[in-house]
Amino acid sequence: MSVKTVPAKGAGKSIGSFLAGNSVPIMFILICAVCIPVSGFSFTYLLNEIMSRLGRNAFLILSLLIPIMAGMGLNFGMTLGAMAGEIALIFVSDWQIWGIPGMVLAMIISVPFSVLLGLFCGKILNMAKGREMITSYIISFFINGVYQLIVLYMMGPIIPISHSSIKLPRGYGIRNTVSLLNMRQSLDNAVSFRIAGVKIPVITLLIIVCMCLLIIWFRRTKLGQDMRAVGQDMQVAKDAGIDVERTRIISIVISTVLAGLGMIIYLQNMGNLSTYSSHSQVGMFCIAALLVGGASVDKASIGNVFLGVILFHTMFIVAPNAGTKITGDSMIGEYFRVFVSYGVITVALVMYETKKRRAKAGNGRQLQLEQEAIK
Amino acid sequence: MTDTKRKWLVRCAVIVFILALAALMMILGRGHTVYFDNKTLEYNGETYSAKQRINVDVTGAKTAKLSKRDRGMATWIGQNFTMDLEITENKGDEPVKKTVSLKLPYNMDGIVVNLPGLLADLPREAWMSEFVSMAAETEAEEAEDEIVTDDFGLGDF
Repeated sequence: MSVKTVPAKGAGKSIGSFLAGNSVPIMFILICAVCIPVSGFSFTYLLNEIMSRLGRNAFLILSLLIPIMAGMGLNFGMTLGAMAGEIALIFVSDWQIWGIPGMVLAMIISVPFSVLLGLFCGKILNMAKGREMITSYIISFFINGVYQLIVLYMMGPIIPISHSSIKLPRGYGIRNTVSLLNMRQSLDNAVSFRIAGVKIPVITLLIIVCMCLLIIWFRRTKLGQDMRAVGQDMQVAKDAGIDVERTRIISIVISTVLAGLGMIIYLQNMGNLSTYSSHSQVGMFCIAALLVGGASVDKASIGNVFLGVILFHTMFIVAPNAGTKITGDSMIGEYFRVFVSYGVITVALVMYETKKRRAKAGNGRQLQLEQEAIK
Repeated sequence: MTDTKRKWLVRCAVIVFILALAALMMILGRGHTVYFDNKTLEYNGETYSAKQRINVDVTGAKTAKLSKRDRGMATWIGQNFTMDLEITENKGDEPVKKTVSLKLPYNMDGIVVNLPGLLADLPREAWMSEFVSMAAETEAEEAEDEIVTDDFGLGDF
C-alpha cells in the first residue's frame, strides 16, 4: 500500500511544481482558449496573423537571450539597438534605397551605432551590478532623449537629410512617420508560399532558424561558456580567470546589435516607421512575450521565445474583438492587452524574487539542520 | 605572420567586404519612380504628337493604359529600366509592340519620360526630366507635422 501512495504523492507534487513553474504560460493558454472562440476569427486568419507576427517579432525577442545567459536579466536596453536600427532606416529612406538592398544597407549602417550604444550600456551596467534591469530601463529613456535631439534637431542642419518626404517642412527634423512602403514585406515576400491559406515567409523564417542555430552554437563556444559561468556566479567566474566585466559588455553589445537588426526586420514587415515612438514600447512587448513563453529573469530558452510569440500575439490579435463581443467596447480589449503585458512583467519579477527568497530561506534551514545535527 | 597580425588582417578584410557590400546595395537598391507621359512634345520646332493609346507593362505586369494627355507611373529598383509598350498610333490601327530599355540617372528620384519623344528617338534631354511635385510641397508647408515625443503621457504635468 505504501508503495502505491509514495509515487502518487510524488506525482501530485510534480504536477504542483509544474503548474507553479509554468503558471504564466498556462494562464495565457487559458486566456487564449476563452478569447479565440469569443473573438469569432477564423482559424486561417489567426494562423496567418500569428505567422506574420512570428516573422516580425521572433528575431527581436531572440536578442534578449544572450544577456540572460550572462546573468544580466532582461535587457530593457534592447531599445538602444532598436533606435540604431531606426536611424539606419531613416538614412536609407533619405537615400531612396528600396527593397532587400535597402534592408541590407540599413542593417550594415545600424551595426556601428548599435555597437557604440551597446558599449555605453554595458559599461554603465557593469557599474550597477545586480540592478541591471532597472538601470537598462532608465538608460533607454536617457538615450531616447539623445535620439530625439539628433532626429528632431540635428537631422537637416548638421546631418544631411534631403528628401522632402521624410524631412519636416520647417527644414530640419524628421516627420512623425517615415514611409517604408518601398521596403514593405520585401523580405517576407521574397520567397513565400501558402499552406491551406496560411502565408509562409520562407526567407524570414530561415533567418530566424539561422539565428536560433547561431545561439545554440554560441552557447558551446568559449565565450558562451564564459557567459554562462558569469551568469551563474560572478565571483567564481572571476576566480576561474574569466574577465567578467568584458564578458558582460560583450553580451550587451551582441544583444544591442541583434536588436538593431531585429528592429529592421520588424519595421520592414510593418511598412512604416513611427520616428518618435516605434522603439519606445518594443522592449516592453518583447520582454513580456518572452516571459509569457515561460522564461524567467535568470533562465530563458529558444522554446520560450516561440511559445511566447505565439501566446502573447494570439492574445494581442483576439483581445480587441473578444473585448468588443464581451463588453461592447473594443477599447476594453485594447486596455486589456496593454495591462496584461505590463502585468505579466510584474508577475514574473515578483515570482523571481519570491523564488530567490525561498531558495535562500531553504538554504538557511538546511544549514541550521546540519548545525543541529553536528551538535 | 604573427597571430595578432593575421587577426588584424582578417578584421580589415571583413570591414572592406562589408563596405563593398554596402556600396553594392546602394547601387542595386536605388529606387526611382518613373512617370510616363503620352503628351504632345515640341522639340527644336518639331511637333511629336501623342499616340492614340499606349499600354505600358513593367516587369510583366500591366502598369498603365495611356490615352492622349495621360500620365502613368511605376516604381523601379536599380538603374536599368525595361518596359514593354503596346502602341496604337491612330484610331483603328493595329497595336505595335516594342520593348524599351532606359538607363535611369542615379540622382533623380522621380523621372518623367515623354513616350512620343522617346519613341521618336530624340536625344535624352528632350524626353526625360525630373519630376518635381509643387502641390505636395505647398501642402506640406501649410500643414506642419505635430511631433509627439511625450513617452510618459504626462502632458503639461
